[in-house]
Amino acid sequence: MHNRSESSADRVIEVEGLTKQYRVFDKPEGLWASVRGLFHRESRVIEALRGVDLRVNRGEFLAMLGPNGAGKTTFLKLLSGIITPTRGTARVLGHVPWERTDDFRRRFALVMGQKNQLWWDLPAAESFRLHQEIYRIEPRRFARIRDELVDMLQVGRLLGQPVRELSLGERMKLELVAALLHEPEVLFLDEPTIGLDVVAQHTIHEFLRRVQRQRSVTVILTTHYMKDVAALCERVVVVTSGSILYDGSLEQIVDRFTTHKVVTLDFEEPPPAEQVQRFGFPWEMRGPRVTLRIDRTQIAEVLPRLLADKQVRDVSVEDVPLEEIVAGLFRGASAAANTSTEPAGVE
Amino acid sequence: MLRYLTIFATFARACLVRDMTFRANFLLECLTSLGWMSMNLAFYLLIFSFTPEIGRDSGWSREPFFAFVATGLIINAVVQALFMPSASELAEMVRTGGLDAILVKPLDAQFLLSMHRFDFSSLANGIVGVVLLAWAVPRFPVPPPLVAWLLYPLLIVCGVAILYGLIITLAAATIMMGRNQSLYDFWFYITNFSRYPAEIYAGPWGGPLRMLCTFVIPILLVVNVPAGTIAKPLSGEAWGMVLVTVVAAVAAISFSRLFFQTALARYRSASS
Repeated sequence: MHNRSESSADRVIEVEGLTKQYRVFDKPEGLWASVRGLFHRESRVIEALRGVDLRVNRGEFLAMLGPNGAGKTTFLKLLSGIITPTRGTARVLGHVPWERTDDFRRRFALVMGQKNQLWWDLPAAESFRLHQEIYRIEPRRFARIRDELVDMLQVGRLLGQPVRELSLGERMKLELVAALLHEPEVLFLDEPTIGLDVVAQHTIHEFLRRVQRQRSVTVILTTHYMKDVAALCERVVVVTSGSILYDGSLEQIVDRFTTHKVVTLDFEEPPPAEQVQRFGFPWEMRGPRVTLRIDRTQIAEVLPRLLADKQVRDVSVEDVPLEEIVAGLFRGASAAANTSTEPAGVE
Repeated sequence: MLRYLTIFATFARACLVRDMTFRANFLLECLTSLGWMSMNLAFYLLIFSFTPEIGRDSGWSREPFFAFVATGLIINAVVQALFMPSASELAEMVRTGGLDAILVKPLDAQFLLSMHRFDFSSLANGIVGVVLLAWAVPRFPVPPPLVAWLLYPLLIVCGVAILYGLIITLAAATIMMGRNQSLYDFWFYITNFSRYPAEIYAGPWGGPLRMLCTFVIPILLVVNVPAGTIAKPLSGEAWGMVLVTVVAAVAAISFSRLFFQTALARYRSASS
């Protein structure tokens, strides 16, 4: 598990036993079933979060990974005070989030990649002005921060354009500027790069990295993109079916959940299958390129043998792709969780 | 308080900027609204071509009745311009999870939800209401006393407060239920009662309905009491109704506030 040696004074987020249950009503198919449903509805309790414990220190950049419906967004909504938990406690910057005190709400920001927070019909500059009033930002400070953020993302030319006319990438950059205008100490990012092209993703990575370092902002990022995680986060929390499956560094996730490395051999020309089989490891071949999966403990011993093959032009040794490790984790956890749904109730 | 006024002004400015962006739409909305109101006025003129008074000995002869209509126009213009656009957007915000963005702002959620969007074209009717009032009052059989002029703006504010309380209560129901379209239809049905003098609700059905819409859902007080104060003599009963209206306004605001807070605590948000 992740090493947390800092004092409690540095602790920004403390969560214990956080549980969120939703009651959902099943809607059966067919007209008769719908009529019956007016008087008698079958319901189920869904546990979006199951007793989550988490501690985050000031300045940490934490990624939360998990399949769809794992509870990542529910977790951010609880920490932002949007919804209240069924059980458990949470403190963010010393505040109970769902008490929604103004002092707390002035100190954090939430950016949701799939939801628009800027005014749709107005230029972003107008939304920023509104933000200044809502967060009571002193005019000179507001102008300084806005110009600084706008320069970093090079979006000055977009400020006067109605938000509805912007591309998704442009809009997301302006959403980030709006979220950071009041200099939040904690930033919750819910899939901020969803649907963005590679260039826009890269720009946002650079921007977030710079802002986080300059201002020591504590960031929790939920994402499905491993590129986001690799570019930004030192700590990774994997959530599946509402529980934390892993909490540690990105490097450890590779060490802990894989036993082998991927060795790629480039031949002069496609080798015969029998020659590849002789290596004695699981393999895949695409033209002159052969990929072998070799146990990490055997790499030092096997590599000289592979290099000795005169037809091998190039060799590379890499970890198993992060996407593959995480997908394996998700699959394993979802298979285990399929049996643990709460019993049905009737209303 | 000053901060909220500043934010209110900023929202109003932003909405005006937006309305100006869609000028043709803005003008069309003004024209539609004025057209609808002109038809109503023509309809009332037609009625007065058949009868000198609405209701027997009710005091609602032609000019006092047009003062009643003007009062209704002013109150509804304020409500339609300031509160209705935000409230009607709320159902969609709850359904799509757009409410989340409001809840994380360091401001009173009720203030933000009920006053973040305005419809300035609705104020056109209010202006016509003021002009109609200015035309009707000098033609009253008895001119209104000074105290009536002092009470009139206060009672207009009370009328707006009662309607605001009703809007917020319906909005809170939307938050609790996740989806709520029929309750907005309910708003239009119930506010229809406020558009006519209370005296028309008489007889075995009308009497109980009048009591219900005066003391339970005090919708009949909204226009009747301010209009009656300026257009009719201030009798003892009229003073009683003034008091009831002030109490109803305070109760409507307090109840809706409490209900709204309860609803927010039960907000589920929508899926991402």
